[in-house]
This record gives sequence, structure tokens and C-alpha cells, in this order.
Amino acid sequence: MSSRTETAVTPSVKEKKNKKTTLRTWNSNLLLGSVIPVLLLVVWEYASRAGWVASHLLPAPTTVIEEITTMAQEGELWGHIGITLYRVFFGFLAGSAVAVVLGAATGYNKTIHRLLDPMLQALRAIPSLAWVPLFVLWIGIGEASKVTLVAVGVFFPVYLNLTSGIQGIDRKLIEVGRMYNFTSLQQIRRIILPAALPSFLVGIRSGLSLGWMFVVAAELLGASQGLGYLMVFGQNTSAPELVIGSIILFAIFGKLTDEILKRIEKRTLRWQDNVENAS
Amino acid sequence: MLTVNRVSRIFQEGKAGFRNVDLSLKKGEVVGVLGTSGCGKSTLLRVLSGLDAGFEGDIQTGSDRPEEAFGMMFQEPRLMPWLTVEENISFGVKDKSRKAQAQELIETVGLAGFERHYPKDLSGGMAQRVAIARSLLNRPEILLLDEPFSALDAFTKMQLQDLLLSIWEKHHTTTLLVTHDIDEALYLCDRIVIMRGQPGQIESELFVNRPKPRKRGDVHLAQLKDEILSELDFTKR
Ligand SMILES: Nc1ncnc2c1ncn2[C@@H]1O[C@H](COP(=O)(O)OP(=O)(O)O)[C@@H](O)[C@H]1O
Ligand SMILES: [Mg+2]
Repeated sequence: MSSRTETAVTPSVKEKKNKKTTLRTWNSNLLLGSVIPVLLLVVWEYASRAGWVASHLLPAPTTVIEEITTMAQEGELWGHIGITLYRVFFGFLAGSAVAVVLGAATGYNKTIHRLLDPMLQALRAIPSLAWVPLFVLWIGIGEASKVTLVAVGVFFPVYLNLTSGIQGIDRKLIEVGRMYNFTSLQQIRRIILPAALPSFLVGIRSGLSLGWMFVVAAELLGASQGLGYLMVFGQNTSAPELVIGSIILFAIFGKLTDEILKRIEKRTLRWQDNVENAS
Repeated sequence: MLTVNRVSRIFQEGKAGFRNVDLSLKKGEVVGVLGTSGCGKSTLLRVLSGLDAGFEGDIQTGSDRPEEAFGMMFQEPRLMPWLTVEENISFGVKDKSRKAQAQELIETVGLAGFERHYPKDLSGGMAQRVAIARSLLNRPEILLLDEPFSALDAFTKMQLQDLLLSIWEKHHTTTLLVTHDIDEALYLCDRIVIMRGQPGQIESELFVNRPKPRKRGDVHLAQLKDEILSELDFTKR
């Protein structure tokens, strides 16, 4: 390379090549990653059909899929899926909204931090499922108590990651804002929030996965609809294909929603200098 | 333009910082502060810029809005990693018409074509240029530069020094340039203040009466360099 390497970089060509190679490695990763699951599925199917395992305990994968598709065709399944998604969505929204407000406040203001953080840390020590009886007592077994439970689950990871993100911000960047005589609000909006965005997104993603965990718990403990309820129903009526089917659906939706957040994260954090963005 | 009257900022029970600094800058003047590392040069700039309020003494600016009079270029680029080059350069600029000048400045510092790049994709020299452009776009009345080129290779350094010269020629910005590079101070400054000690004090002051742009190998500058070196002689107390 010449001595003027700095201005000699031609980024556009490089990017195109990268896209192709990543697509190829992605494909081969997918292939390699599915070898064992596919093998297990085949063994499972065979074991179930050959009678190695009792089919009333572990039905064959095809039986499970059949059950799900029948339920989907009859329309019964959509109600269960819909209500579960509804609980996760609003619980997630409420939990992260409260976490953003409290997290930003405690991260920015030392007094608010000293006021609120010890209490929140103490509340965090309570295993969140322990709240269930109380919520049911307070707000009944309706939707509100389930959404609240999900929100509690989502709140803590988002709050913790956001505050630690804000506290970890480079003081040097804050000083740049001070040189421009930024107001507090400008500091928060233009420096603090963007700088804390990476850890906030980490919090959002682990918040979502906790949200899924909590919706299962909420629905197991008292619901008349939802994927979690379907599992209890399957257990009580000795229908393992229902239980396994619900597990698979949970896995699919959990993965799907996480993938959405992951895409958003990747898009908004293009600027990060990390291994993932390395070219 | 700027008058500094017996200003002190002491750290660690009198073992660090600087003491009793008197300094005055005329409008358009470029003054260099030379000193070994640790003698409080960065601290001096932080005090002047208003980032450090724990000082004693008196600082006067000829400006009617003293808090907005200073622009600072830090020792590190301090770019916002989530902003592109052009967004970083116009960061903090309130005046919309100024933003239009950002493009012009990008070309001046040789970053055309990199407007949409993020700091992670820049070399050290390019990041430093972005920082220079950012501190210039706001057109501060007094520009404070803290070892702006100390982390750069010799070629980029000379390029950027010439860039500063051309910008001064255009805008006549009053500038206080902190450096530990004697050649740089001699090449760029109208006057050089030498600091030494811990806490640092102003030891002496000398004028560089040579029209700019100067020749880097100028004999007169070489003589001044010898003077400065003997001034900074560490065997002397
Ligand atoms: N906030 C601070 N608290 C304590 N000591 C400090 C602080 N800031 C700077 N110092 C000390 O003051 C001395 C001068 O620092 P600095 O101004 O950065 O020197 P220079 O820029 O000339 O190399 C250093 O020894 C440093 O440790
Ligand atoms: Mg320094």
C-alpha cells in the first residue's frame, strides 16, 4: 500500500464481497448446525413408531405436528397464540417503558440513584415468581395480573443494563457536550442515551426472554387460554402431543421475537467497533 | 481577548497541577504553551475552558458571553462513535447555516468521501482531523488545542499543521496551543510560553518574530530551539 493509505480505502467494493462470503458461511453454518437436530428427530420418530418408548408419554414428531396443524385448521390454536402474544407484548412494553424512565433517571441523577436503586436492588432479590400469589390477590386472575407479571420480569434486566450502561459512559464524551454548553436534556438525548444504547439493547433482549419465561409461569398458574394453559390442559388430559406442541410453539415465537430484536440491534449498532461488525 | 491573572489549580496537596499563571492573549494571536508532560498543561486548558471550576485567580475574556467564547480540541479526538464523520463535525452546532459549511470544512481537512463513515472505520489521523474540523466549525473566539497532533505520524502531523496555518490565515482565531513538540511550537506560534515544574509554573516567554508560513529548517528557528532546550534543561533547577 502507498503511504497515503488513509485516503486510498475504497469501501464499497469491500462491502459487496463481504456480503457474499457472509451469506455463504451463514448457509454452511445452518447446514452444520442442523445435522444433530435432524438426526435426533429421525431417531425419535423411529423410536416412537417402533414402540421403544411409550407413545402415550412421548409421541412421534409427526403426531405432534399433526396435532398442531389440526388445531390450527380448526381455529382453536390461534386464540391461544394470540392471547399469549398479547400478554408478552404489553408486558414487555410496560416493563421496558418503566425501566427506561427509572433507569435514565437513576443513571443521570445521583440523588435519584441513591433514593431508588437500593430499593430496586432489594426487590430484585425476590424471585419474581414469588410475586404471583400477591398479584393474583391484588389484581385478580384476569389479564392485568399476567401482564403485570411479565412486566416485572422484563423490568429488571432492562433497568439494570440501562443504569450500568449510563454509569459506564466515558466522561470524556460528556465533557464534549459541556464544551458546547448543552443543557441536561441535551446531554441525555444527544450523548447519554446513544452511548448507553448498546447495553440498553442487551437489556431489552434479555428482558424479552424473561418475558417469555414469565408468561409461561403466569399461564401455568391460572389461565383459561394461552399456550401455557394448553400445556396444563395437555398434562391433565394425558395428551403429551399438546404439551410438546406448545413447547415447540413457545420456542418458535421466542426465537422469532428475539430475532426481530437482534435485527434492530444490528441495524442501530452498525457504528460499534466489535467483532460482529469487523470487516 | 484573554487575560489570565495569577491562576492556580493544585492537585494532590501541592504536588501537581499548575501555579500562579499569568497570561494574556491579543486578538488573533497564536500562543504556544511548551512543557514536559505532567506540568499541568492539560489542566490549564481545562480551567480556561470552564471544565474545571476549582481554580483560584481570575480569568477575563473580552467576550460578552464568556461561557461560549472557548472551543476546545482535546488531546484525544473524542468523537461520538454513533455518529458519522459529518454528524460528528456538526455536533453541537446550533446555527443551521453553519452546518452548510461543514461540507466545505470536510474538504479542507481532506475527508471528502468519508462523510458517512463511522469513527471505528477511521485511522488515528483521520479521527484527529474530524476533531479539528469539529472544533473549527463552531468558530470559537478562543481556540484551545491540547497537543492536537502528538499521536500522529510525522507526515500527517505536518499536513495538519499546515492546515491550521491556512485556517488561521482565513479566520484569525485567537489560539492557545499546548504542545511538547518544540518544532511545532516554533512553526506555528507568535509567542511561546514555557512551563516547568510540578506544579507547573511559567518559566519564561519568547517571541517568534518570523512571518508565517515559516520554513521548517529556518536558521533563526533553530537558534530559538537551542534556547528553549537549554531553558528546559533538566539538570538545571
Ligand atoms: N483531577 C485530578 N486530580 C488529581 N490530580 C490530577 C487531576 N488532574 C490532573 N492531575 C495531575 O496533575 C498533573 C498534571 O496533569 P496534566 O495537566 O494532564 O499534565 P500535562 O497535560 O502537562 O501532561 C498530573 O500529574 C496529574 O496526575
Ligand atoms: Mg496533557
